[in-house]
Amino acid sequence: MEQIILSFITSIAPAVVFNTSKRNLIWAGFSGVVGWVIYIFLFEKTGDTILSVFAGALGIGIYSETMARVLKTPATVYTLPGIFPIVPGVPAYYTIEYIVKRNFINAAGTGLETIGSACAIAFGVMLASAVFRLYNRIKIKSAYDKY
Amino acid sequence: MGITNVNLNDVTRIAIKAGKILLTSGAEIYRVEDTITRICKAYKVECETFVVPTGIFITAYGKDGETITHVKRIKERTINIKKIEAVNAFSRSLNNRVPDYSEAMNILDSIEHEREYPFWLKLAATSVTAFAFVLLFKGTSYESIAAALISAIVYFFKERVVQVSLFPFLGFFISGIVAGSLSILFSVLISGLNIYKIIIGAIVIHLPGMAMTNGIKDALYGDITSSMNRISEAFFSVAAICAGVALALLVFL
Repeated sequence: MEQIILSFITSIAPAVVFNTSKRNLIWAGFSGVVGWVIYIFLFEKTGDTILSVFAGALGIGIYSETMARVLKTPATVYTLPGIFPIVPGVPAYYTIEYIVKRNFINAAGTGLETIGSACAIAFGVMLASAVFRLYNRIKIKSAYDKY
Repeated sequence: MGITNVNLNDVTRIAIKAGKILLTSGAEIYRVEDTITRICKAYKVECETFVVPTGIFITAYGKDGETITHVKRIKERTINIKKIEAVNAFSRSLNNRVPDYSEAMNILDSIEHEREYPFWLKLAATSVTAFAFVLLFKGTSYESIAAALISAIVYFFKERVVQVSLFPFLGFFISGIVAGSLSILFSVLISGLNIYKIIIGAIVIHLPGMAMTNGIKDALYGDITSSMNRISEAFFSVAAICAGVALALLVFL
């Protein structure tokens, strides 16, 4: 419960920094909750960072695209603040520290984990958006077919 | 009803203005192109548009074979979601009613100069982000308070440096240095703090999430040129932050 509140704050506060309108602030906050809950659930079950981040990002993408259609706003409004709780900050920091300490073997490991997580976020969001776009295409096509 | 030269000009101006607001606020390329095409269509003008993150090109075709081309160079790129929402709503409203030139320009002007949240509120939101982020990663309350303070200082620095510097990545580099050195200072003053949690909390708000997700979305819609442009922007921003933090660690640790 405490984590849900924290993840809500972690994505509503960036939404304020990026000047989201008041109407959408709360929904931007819930986007972060969706991503975080999926991420932490999978992470505790499997212990795989990249997989959990990917699933979290996919959840954020689906949530954002749905809300975008319900509230008639761009999906970015919810996607951007939503990914804040799951950004790979910790491995990114360790990569820098290992490089500074000339420990390049460990740096390569954490570096790959960072890049992997970042790509997982991007592809998770993209996959959701691609699926919704495909659905839209089919809908438009079937609407034409009726005539 | 022939469309005269003046009309073509007016339509491209409205389209350019809407496109400029979207692009400077950080919208995806397909959204900018789509909005421009919609505006031209609403005024019954045939047009072709090409948008990259640094510029907008529009050519409109008149009924009697004349063409008119506008090029708009985009220099500043910020993140302002409210403006994207507003232009999106404007573009949707064209389905119901098409305003004349001066009315459309007035609407877009008021969107462009719409007031942002005050600076102190953004500063407070930055610290709250850092505070909650550190707690989320099981940091102690001291660590989160330190991160909140540092992130407010870094945000302040960055907004001021970005306003005066001509080199966009300098802001990121300096943020990294400031975050790194202040975190080390705090950990020296109060023993038992984890430096990494403070640094991550302090810089999380400056990570280029927008550039990254937009870059991938542009790729999805086939705008590979823009996608590469934005992904490199994200990559260089991260590299600049990391270089700053690394420099601070090298010097002080």
